[in-house]
Amino acid sequence: MNDSKFMQLLENILMPIAEKLNNNRYLTALRDGFMVALPLIIFGSIFVVLANFPFLDRMIGEEAFAAYQSALGPASDATLGIMGTFVIIGIGYKLTQHYGGEAIYGGVVAFAAFLILTPQVLEGVSGVIPTSSLGAEGMFLGIFTAFIAAELYRFFVQKNWTIKMPAGVPEAVSRSFSALIPITMTLTAFILVRIIFSYTPFDTVQNFIYTIIQEPLTALGSGLTATIIIVLLTQVFWFFGLHGQIITNSVMDPIWYALNDQNLQAFQAGTELPNIITKQFIDSFLVGSGGSGMTLSVILLIFIIGKSRQLKEIGRLGAPAGLFNVNEPIIFGLPIIMNPLVLIPWILAPVVATVITYTSMVTGLVPPPAGIIVPWTTPPILNGFLATGNAWQGAVLQLVNILVVMAIWWPFLKLLDKNYYESEKSAK
Amino acid sequence: MKRILLACASGMSTSILVRKMEEAAEEKGIEAEIWAVAQDKAPSEMERADVLLIGPQMRFMKKKYSKVAEEVGIPLDVIDPVAYGRADGEAVLNKAIELIGE
Repeated sequence: MNDSKFMQLLENILMPIAEKLNNNRYLTALRDGFMVALPLIIFGSIFVVLANFPFLDRMIGEEAFAAYQSALGPASDATLGIMGTFVIIGIGYKLTQHYGGEAIYGGVVAFAAFLILTPQVLEGVSGVIPTSSLGAEGMFLGIFTAFIAAELYRFFVQKNWTIKMPAGVPEAVSRSFSALIPITMTLTAFILVRIIFSYTPFDTVQNFIYTIIQEPLTALGSGLTATIIIVLLTQVFWFFGLHGQIITNSVMDPIWYALNDQNLQAFQAGTELPNIITKQFIDSFLVGSGGSGMTLSVILLIFIIGKSRQLKEIGRLGAPAGLFNVNEPIIFGLPIIMNPLVLIPWILAPVVATVITYTSMVTGLVPPPAGIIVPWTTPPILNGFLATGNAWQGAVLQLVNILVVMAIWWPFLKLLDKNYYESEKSAK
Repeated sequence: MKRILLACASGMSTSILVRKMEEAAEEKGIEAEIWAVAQDKAPSEMERADVLLIGPQMRFMKKKYSKVAEEVGIPLDVIDPVAYGRADGEAVLNKAIELIGE
């Protein structure tokens, strides 16, 4: 009785947090903006994998390999390399759509505002926009710019500061004129911001955001302790039946993607990878091993030790989806939710896997994620191979993690199975 | 024709249920169009649905969806976690039909 009261209390705390985080219009726009960029990011990642195909340089020779790489290069440069661009347009679009405005104008005004704040000179050559600032490096500035630009645009539209066309003017013409003044006002504000910043020691807003927000935040997010806390939170949310990954992603994605991008640039340049914690650390080595909580191990364990009909049924039902890291059938079916019997392995296993993964990468046994975005629905083993930039060690690490998670679950699942089995026997 | 919309985080786990619900509908001889979408698509898809069912792990979206559902005049509810875990197509189908209420 006391137990369920405690559970109720926790649920009462967690539910509003989940609701707030998920319904916050800025976090929603951020998440949906990333969704817009995701297909392009994945496309670019696939080409990074292809361009760095293992042993190919030895098979076709150095020169041919260099030509091959430069032929494929633009695919990732135009997508993954400037991912900030798509995220910004996506956020501007989604936020404006949320307010019921002409969404595409929200998208382009956000992008233009971002370009206004971006340095347009590189090594003394003007009229050049460095692609690095359109990538993850410019993403934080882009996110804030997109929020503010979309808000300003909406504000001016709602103030009705628009040019009204007389009746009889074609709809498309009057619509582009109705956007004219709000866009002009919004972008003028950003020009002013740019000018003001040129008089500060930071010189550009880009520098300012980078020094004040992006660098400290990414430094924090790249640590093991912070990651363990996030992993714990994700598991606790899920334990109460709330989609933990969606909730933590909405806050952590900008940081994880920025860390990812630093690694990608180093990987493509052939230098040492600066980060271990990245988007792919989470997506491949935790989520990508059977879904949140790495439950593919649980399914495998069911096949090995499961005696009860109920558990075997859940295993059969959950296996095909689990292979692609969709694990709601197990989470709700076992069930894991609100089930005190499995609370310990549910929370403990991903934390142990995090420590193992981190340690093996910090010691150099396994290369860190190469910054390639592998879709989280990619089956484990293959997932770890691709995420580490075609390194077999990544695949082995995933296998080790799966076995470790199985070992952690073993006594608890055995107990659960026994309970089910006995109640099935007595039911007969 | 019953048009049943399911929504979850990315429309993946609910799509497992869609298949089971379609099987159940066919068995019972009920004409139904059942489809699953990701959370951000749900509001725009509601217009052509008779009912919206939300995956239990996304139940914190209920309040937000309720506003839209009220506007387009369709009922909605969170799918029962047990039925969800068992991918019990029949139970969820029955619930959907009960919500549509004809």
